[in-house]
Amino acid sequence: MSIVNALLRETKFISKDRSVCFWMAIVISLSALSLGFGLAEVNRQQATIDKLLIVDQEDRAAQIEKQKGWGGAAYYSFHLSYDAPSDFAFAAIGLRDVQAWKHRIRMLALEGQIYERDVGNPSIALVGRFDFAFFCAFIVPLILIILLYDLRSSERNAGRFNLLEASTGQANNLWLLRASLRAGALYLCLIVPLIAAAIIAGTSTGTLILACLFVLAYILFWTALCFVVSAWQKPDAVLLMTLLGIWISTAVIIPAGARLAIDKAVTLPAGSDILMLQREAVNDAWDLPREATMNAFFERHPEWADYQAVEQSFEWQWYYAFQQVGDQKAEALSKAYRDGRLKRDKLASWAALLAPPALLERALQNLANTDIKASIRYEDSVRDYHAELRAFYYPKFFENQAFDKASLEGLPEYKAAK
Amino acid sequence: MKLQANSLYIERSGKQVLQGISFSVDQGQVYALLGGNGAGKSTTLLSFLGFLLPASGQALIDAKEVGADIGAARKNIAYLPESASLYEHLNAHENIEYFLQLAGSAATQAHIDGALDQVALAPDARLRKLRDYSKGMRQKVAIALAILRDTDILLLDEPTSGLDPNAIDEFHQLVRQLADKGKTILMVTHDVYGACQVADKIGLLHSGCLVGEFSAEDGNSIDTEVVHKAFSASAKSPSKISQTEPA
Repeated sequence: MSIVNALLRETKFISKDRSVCFWMAIVISLSALSLGFGLAEVNRQQATIDKLLIVDQEDRAAQIEKQKGWGGAAYYSFHLSYDAPSDFAFAAIGLRDVQAWKHRIRMLALEGQIYERDVGNPSIALVGRFDFAFFCAFIVPLILIILLYDLRSSERNAGRFNLLEASTGQANNLWLLRASLRAGALYLCLIVPLIAAAIIAGTSTGTLILACLFVLAYILFWTALCFVVSAWQKPDAVLLMTLLGIWISTAVIIPAGARLAIDKAVTLPAGSDILMLQREAVNDAWDLPREATMNAFFERHPEWADYQAVEQSFEWQWYYAFQQVGDQKAEALSKAYRDGRLKRDKLASWAALLAPPALLERALQNLANTDIKASIRYEDSVRDYHAELRAFYYPKFFENQAFDKASLEGLPEYKAAK
Repeated sequence: MKLQANSLYIERSGKQVLQGISFSVDQGQVYALLGGNGAGKSTTLLSFLGFLLPASGQALIDAKEVGADIGAARKNIAYLPESASLYEHLNAHENIEYFLQLAGSAATQAHIDGALDQVALAPDARLRKLRDYSKGMRQKVAIALAILRDTDILLLDEPTSGLDPNAIDEFHQLVRQLADKGKTILMVTHDVYGACQVADKIGLLHSGCLVGEFSAEDGNSIDTEVVHKAFSASAKSPSKISQTEPA
């Protein structure tokens, strides 16, 4: 009874506080804006994929129509692979901004194709998108700090503190209730637009519940921190600077420092190095004895070891063999790049335990499948798909099967990463 | 209910603010603590609210030490702080309702209007936000709040600060009526004349010491001139002043 009364009393009180109402309006607006941006971006990406699915088939059919042999059909056909945005990607765009989420691959050497990117504005990529995960993780704590840092000190400054404490038997309950209500109102202003956006995007209930719980835990963390600091009998400026100092440390200094340290500890080859190595390997193959190429190829495909390369004329078998050997030569570098990124991510996940904003952002990106693991899963799925294409064409090349356009209808189709 | 200070020593920031003062206020009495700035008047009030706990000695309410159960002690007290700053974004009614609810009590609009009538706050001002009030008007709202708390004890810290002379007279009459209804009232003030007009007892504080105490007898008020002289003398020479003849 008394708790309900206290809740009603403080709710009524807060609803009349213009500064609280102002900040709630800001939070709900920015939350809706960030989600709106996210939905628009995800819709754009999905529309691109939907359009490409049609165009890709039409283009391939047109190219195949012109071909008279397996080699040409494989050479001129492009195959779409894509990483469709998840049902929660609108809330955390994550690495979809900077990592490729669609490719049109060919039967040529793959590694170079994987690390080719669409041309984008690097300055925009550097700034990143204003998505819900960023807003929640980095901006919301600042608003909570503004709402809570002077919870008690503002009453002291106004000369009301003693009257308030004298009026209520359990003074701590009053401050706790006030902090909880402000934080609760802020949470609602964040979550209601998220739920609306999730309904629009058809997000699964489980994902949405998890996201709401992550955000709740995060709000509770900052509320508890602000509550403890605001209890110090220090001037407003000291309380504010203390909380801002904690925010800067956890949102900027620790993540940036950790990133520098991790980058230094785990060195990576650049994607462009992989591309260059593979291209050079492929280009050099034109000048190498064919036997050298074919032997390297047969190591991976002993089933075609009976094939005898013809030295004088161009042969598709040899051509595709040196494409694959190009991939084989880049394989170690590519693996180092893949494993290094995963290792960096693992270390970053440990460092994020000291930086709650980064922890929340990572958790939401993980839910949205927009983190580095999802990106690598997609790259792996492209490799798998390319391997399927090779498995489809190689018997036709090496068994010298008669060209049959109809059998190209059995070309493997890309299956999205799980 | 009886208020009692027994050899009360209070320290604030390592400084001895009250140095063993003793006095008592019986039910139905008004006790005025007089003294200059920094004499320890407000500190005495805060010790009865449990904001400051004694280094030694006791602050007692009905013979129970305040520090033993601060919440229970506060339930019996309506406190009017010096320059009571209520919420500026609320009007008089909303402020009173909020603070009453905070104290676990409630009042009808009619009761609130009754209390505001008692402190002579103009009816047309009652629904205006306090940010538009003068200092005196705010003080009236705070006094109305203290009345509506309807507790056995009232602690009043410079209650007439900011009030005009008419309002001060009306306030003193109100305090007297409340005491006559059995309230125990401890009031701290600079106002010698006001204190003499309303108080049953006056304590003279100087540098944390109770240097004089005056009582009214036989329904007469305390002689203002006597207290005024003692007050001036204590400011110059803070030695113990013996009980001067009451009027």
